[in-house]
Amino acid sequence: MSTAKQTLEEAHALEGAPVLVGRPDDRALTESLLEPVLGPTRKGWLLLVLVLGGGVAFWVVSLVATVFVGIGVWGNNIPVAWAFDITNFVWWIGIGHAGTLISAILLLFQQKWRTSINRFAEAMTLFAVAMAGIYPIIHLGRPWLFWWLIPYPSTTQLWPNFKSALPWDVFAISTYGTVSVLFWYLGLIPDLATLRDAAKDRTRRVVYGIMSFGWRGSARHWRHYRVGYLLLAGLSTPLVVSVHTIVSFDFAISQLPGWHTTIFPPYFVAGAIFSGFAMVMTLMIPARRFLGYHQVVTERHLDNMAKVMLATGLMVSYGYVMEHFMAWYSGSNYEAFAFLNRWVGDYRLIWFVQLFCNVVAPQIFWFPWARRNELVLFGVSILINIGMWAERFMIIAVSLTRDFIPSSWGNYAPTWADWGLLFGSISMFGMLFILFLRFLPAIPIFEVKELRRELEHHGPGVHHEGPGGRGVSP
Amino acid sequence: MPSLGLPIYGQAIGGLGERRWRTVAEHDGATLEGAGEFAEGAAEAPDGLTRRSFLQVLGASAALAGLEGCQPPREKLMPYVRPAAGVTPSVPGAYATAASDRGYAVGLVVTSWEGRPTKIEGNRDHPASLGATDAIRQALVLELYDPARLSGFRHDRRDLSWPAALGELAALARAHDKDRGARLRFLVEPTSSPTLQELRRRVLARFPRARLDAWRADGDDAAREGARLALGRPLDALLSLSEADVVLSLESDFLGRDGDPLRHAKQFAARREPGRLNRLYVAEAGFTVTGGAADHRFRMRSAEGLPFARAVAAELASAHGLAALAPLGARAEGDRRRIAAAVAADLARARGRSIVTAGSGQPAAVHALAAALNDALGNVGRTVAYVDSVLLDPSAAGSADAPPPGLAALARELAAGEVDTLVVTAWNPLHTAPAELGLRDAFAKAKERIVLAFRDDETVRAATFRVAAAHPLESWGDLRARDGTPSIVQPLVAPLVECATEVDLLAALVGEGERGAYRIVKDGWRARAGFGPAPAPATGGLASARPVDANKPAPADPFERRWEEWLSAGLVQHPRASPAPAAPLRVDVGGVARALAAVPAPGAGLEVRFVPDYKVGDGRHLENAWLQELPDPVTKLTWENAAHLSPATAKRLGVDSGDLVELARGGRTATAPALVVPGHADESVTLALGYGQRVQGAVGRGAGFDAYPLRTLDAAGFAAGLEVRPTRKRTDLAVTQGHFSMEGRAIALALDAGELGHAKEELDHHRGEQHTILAPVDYSKEEYRWGMGIDLSRCIGCAACTLACQAENNIPVVGKERVLKSREMHWLRVDRYFEGTPEDPQSVSQPLACVHCEAAPCEYVCPVNATVHSEEGLNEMVYNRCVGTRYCSNNCPYKVRRFNFFDYHGTLAPTVKMRMNPDVTVRARGVMEKCTYCTQRIERARVDARVAGRKIGPDEVVPACAQACPAEAIVFGNLNDPASKVSRLHRDARRYDLLHELGTRPRTAYLVKLRNPNPELA
Repeated sequence: MSTAKQTLEEAHALEGAPVLVGRPDDRALTESLLEPVLGPTRKGWLLLVLVLGGGVAFWVVSLVATVFVGIGVWGNNIPVAWAFDITNFVWWIGIGHAGTLISAILLLFQQKWRTSINRFAEAMTLFAVAMAGIYPIIHLGRPWLFWWLIPYPSTTQLWPNFKSALPWDVFAISTYGTVSVLFWYLGLIPDLATLRDAAKDRTRRVVYGIMSFGWRGSARHWRHYRVGYLLLAGLSTPLVVSVHTIVSFDFAISQLPGWHTTIFPPYFVAGAIFSGFAMVMTLMIPARRFLGYHQVVTERHLDNMAKVMLATGLMVSYGYVMEHFMAWYSGSNYEAFAFLNRWVGDYRLIWFVQLFCNVVAPQIFWFPWARRNELVLFGVSILINIGMWAERFMIIAVSLTRDFIPSSWGNYAPTWADWGLLFGSISMFGMLFILFLRFLPAIPIFEVKELRRELEHHGPGVHHEGPGGRGVSP
Repeated sequence: MPSLGLPIYGQAIGGLGERRWRTVAEHDGATLEGAGEFAEGAAEAPDGLTRRSFLQVLGASAALAGLEGCQPPREKLMPYVRPAAGVTPSVPGAYATAASDRGYAVGLVVTSWEGRPTKIEGNRDHPASLGATDAIRQALVLELYDPARLSGFRHDRRDLSWPAALGELAALARAHDKDRGARLRFLVEPTSSPTLQELRRRVLARFPRARLDAWRADGDDAAREGARLALGRPLDALLSLSEADVVLSLESDFLGRDGDPLRHAKQFAARREPGRLNRLYVAEAGFTVTGGAADHRFRMRSAEGLPFARAVAAELASAHGLAALAPLGARAEGDRRRIAAAVAADLARARGRSIVTAGSGQPAAVHALAAALNDALGNVGRTVAYVDSVLLDPSAAGSADAPPPGLAALARELAAGEVDTLVVTAWNPLHTAPAELGLRDAFAKAKERIVLAFRDDETVRAATFRVAAAHPLESWGDLRARDGTPSIVQPLVAPLVECATEVDLLAALVGEGERGAYRIVKDGWRARAGFGPAPAPATGGLASARPVDANKPAPADPFERRWEEWLSAGLVQHPRASPAPAAPLRVDVGGVARALAAVPAPGAGLEVRFVPDYKVGDGRHLENAWLQELPDPVTKLTWENAAHLSPATAKRLGVDSGDLVELARGGRTATAPALVVPGHADESVTLALGYGQRVQGAVGRGAGFDAYPLRTLDAAGFAAGLEVRPTRKRTDLAVTQGHFSMEGRAIALALDAGELGHAKEELDHHRGEQHTILAPVDYSKEEYRWGMGIDLSRCIGCAACTLACQAENNIPVVGKERVLKSREMHWLRVDRYFEGTPEDPQSVSQPLACVHCEAAPCEYVCPVNATVHSEEGLNEMVYNRCVGTRYCSNNCPYKVRRFNFFDYHGTLAPTVKMRMNPDVTVRARGVMEKCTYCTQRIERARVDARVAGRKIGPDEVVPACAQACPAEAIVFGNLNDPASKVSRLHRDARRYDLLHELGTRPRTAYLVKLRNPNPELA
């Protein structure tokens, strides 16, 4: 045991910045963390609602046009039958990976620093998955029949074609969505009870009361909560890997040059975490600044997340290199052409944007100062968001523009509805997120309190070792 | 009403067993006799309510319910109380008729569903069709149902009924009786119709001082004038390509536009197989279908065609002993001379087995020289026949010795106010007339302007008396093929709107308006066939030749039976119907030499060339959406025309495809988008005619630019002196194939004939079994294993198959904007690739539709099993099951799947919906579609075979594309029958599979295109 303890201590000595700044008492913590929910409505928030509301309206118009007129309102064509629709889908699903990774995997690995950002990340996951889930449905020519992809005992005795990756998607995404909701909501329950108890008006007390399912904080409740949370964490962990693996199968099982690649599963998972962390960062930095979460979201958090971005960014870059290597090594002219086309084809600008954002930009995180500088972090995370979208567009749409038979080559240009569905979904995502910030505690209060106790008892950087080590009651 | 008793194409007529066929297979052997479910006569109505009367019922009631009130019934209608003989609901009938191609007949067989014509196919017995059709003839059926076609009769803003119109026409005619028609003029189109020619003669007999001028912008007057120069009479050249080993085309697009392209293509293609290869030299400026099929294509300006031909003549005279050509020859210098020498040597080797032919855009002197060359080479009477032109009617077109005064004289008289009444039956002369005639201004000076037209156009707008023209599928008439074979044009449906034919109109002017076209045509043929006018009861041998049928009265007189035979066969078989063979011909070398000397030297500046469009012709098909969306066979341009330039000329002028340029010639200008065409001659600009009309309908709106203003009388084909000025503006050209290079991939393979022997190893990489860990499904035990073979050596790339597929399979038209977005719906596309340098490439055309992979990439990725395999190997598309993920298209390496991005059918006019093939599902928005191998035709053959208790024949099923193909490049059938044609193709040494390395096991195999280059020109 002592060797392990020693190793841990050494590791913690290297960790640097604290995960919690200062030693506020429980009451101060509760008050400060509930302030965004219970405090008066801020003007900035209202302005944000208005701006995002405009984007949501654009989104709704695009959706209505898509469903009622047909996906002809998009720029999709033959050969590019998938473009912004599936690009957006993969992008959002990828973003949705950070939450589960932070909540589940880091929980299992007992990373203390996940505590204050996990709910944030989970909420983001949930909203991203919700946005992602819309695309596979509306991208159908006849979206009202999407349920034909679900295996149900139909009178026609027809089942989905399980050889196709698309029914796999249905399972992967619906499972992921369900588990994410449960995981997120379970973690919310103790804080909803806190909110119920702290609320000043009756309406809130009733609403939060119902939402907290009668949580009283008894030892039994905590015991059940702990077990349930750990089980869900265990369930979610394989999903982090499986969902994007299956999404990557949508492309990998095809025979299109640029899609037909065995490296896709790990490459897509790394890309998903890469973009998910970038999105968490994009949302957290403004929230931290304007909602006063400096105490609980510290430089330590930023630093760790930047490291994850750097690591996954390198994995993604490795993916790019391997794709090109395989295109050459396979000896297939079609593959070679598909990758040459990225460099010299009509869409090469997007390719260079992708390379800059995903390969070059994260390299700044080799420098410790950059990992702690809010401005640099925010800028790079925005770039990574753009770069990852560009990557998906290059893979999905640009591969389709140049396939086997030159006579059928054709380019793709988005229409207003395509932009509406991209920016509209970003607005909707943002809208959901600011509503979340306003009505639910974005930082898990009880977990931060628990962390504080833990830090008090064991000193900075020290934590309980041994199996089930998080079982210290607050 | 007495039964008109018209025969149904394929239905029993006494003593006509050999003419009765509904499908090609039937024609080729299988009989209809005894195939029916019921005993002879049992399924027929006792008193035949025959096709005609049934059609009247159906056409008038079902088709245009609500419009009946406006249509005065010309013949009595009968209620549909008993099933009509020969009409079984859901079983289509087929009727033979003919349509005009620049005045000549193309024999057609039209499919009709309970009175609705839906599909046009070629008549195998007709010499100009031989079973095939071109895109324009295929598309005619769409025009029938055009909701924007003209309807009714209108005189001085008063709508008239037909009887009232007849009355006013008769009154007009009477007014001209006084001066015997001195102030009466007719502007008509050249026609081969004996009935019309006779009527025109009778009109002139009544009005001796009147004149008929025949005008058509895309006619081949120069060819006849050339024959007159060389042979003394205006004759038509009939090419027999079957026997020709060497063909030299002086800009003649004989596979696409000139002469009888369908017959030429069939004969030419038959010579493109190993061992029988002919050799085709084409000297041309713009890339044509024929140029694409050439073994050697010499890129030269149109004006250089004549010097080149003279250089060939000079070589033949000096090196090959054809001294008669010496006065006609003129040596070329440099590379041209080397080429001319090689061509001449080849021609000389193939004396009597070669052809020299000139294009309709070339001046008469070139045609005369071609005739002299043919004569000197001994080809006349063997591979080239000069026959009296059936288009020329002495009374209508002046004497045979002098060209008719024509349009120029008419314009002069109009401008001088010497014409009171002008009757126009030619298509839109105000649009097509040569620019300097000023016909637009002069036209209004005639007091009465009677215009017969099918669609609203500029000339119609300028008319005082407008007569809506009937569609060919609604008309009675007749036409003759170039070789003189007459066909009766019979209607498939009662007119959908109030309209009249030219026969009706001219008959009204000779006081026979009441008789109707049917009587006039039929009685005319009764007289021509030598039958007496009085119907005599049938007796004796003729009556007993018919099977005993108590329910059906025997035809009243022998002519009726003959008439029925003609209608049924689509041909008039009568010894006196064909013209007498031309008298022995002698080439007037001196005359030709004088004509050659008279050709002015080409002027300075860019050359401008005017060609009829492959799709809209001279412009009359501008409003046909199928043709508009059909990719041009060469440039793949849709929905408009453009100024074709060579890459070098475009570079010199600083323009690129899509740049708008201003074209100026002789003070007249037009603005056109430039289109850079590889292989175009330098310093030459090709303009397709017929677009940019001043009066446009919904389809033709904004389609292209008008090239006619630049075309003058002396520049019918081409002329020098064009100026091209870039305008800095751009437009988007809707080209369906943006990439003409194969990128070094093995897509459309072409080999020189000599290389085929060594290419086996290379070709083996593209065919045969492949290693796979998945055992392929074994289809060899199935009764049928459907497959297709496409011989690229035969394919000329004319795109008739694309249009036939569109008509057969209810494929929607999407419009220019959506073509620009790559959303065209054609299930079958004809890809064209260029090989070699962009300046002077060779081309390969490759028809590509779903290849029905046995290991189909589309099938395993469909999440809802909407595309599945049948046990006979069809890759089937289940529209009802499709939710539209489009994954199948993404995974299709051939990219032959098409997606309904919008609801393309819901907004169609009711009449257009009538054209739909009821056998083919009309697809909804949001579903994928693609070639089905015409599964409806397979199923119909299956029903027929099952009813007859037999197997489907090896070549019995003919999909629409194969049916239309003039070159017989597409073959379909049962691969499990080793005797089928398609099995032979799949075993051919030239066979290869497209993208074989992907392991898709396509059922469509391709045969390598063979070229037969002259070693001396290597």
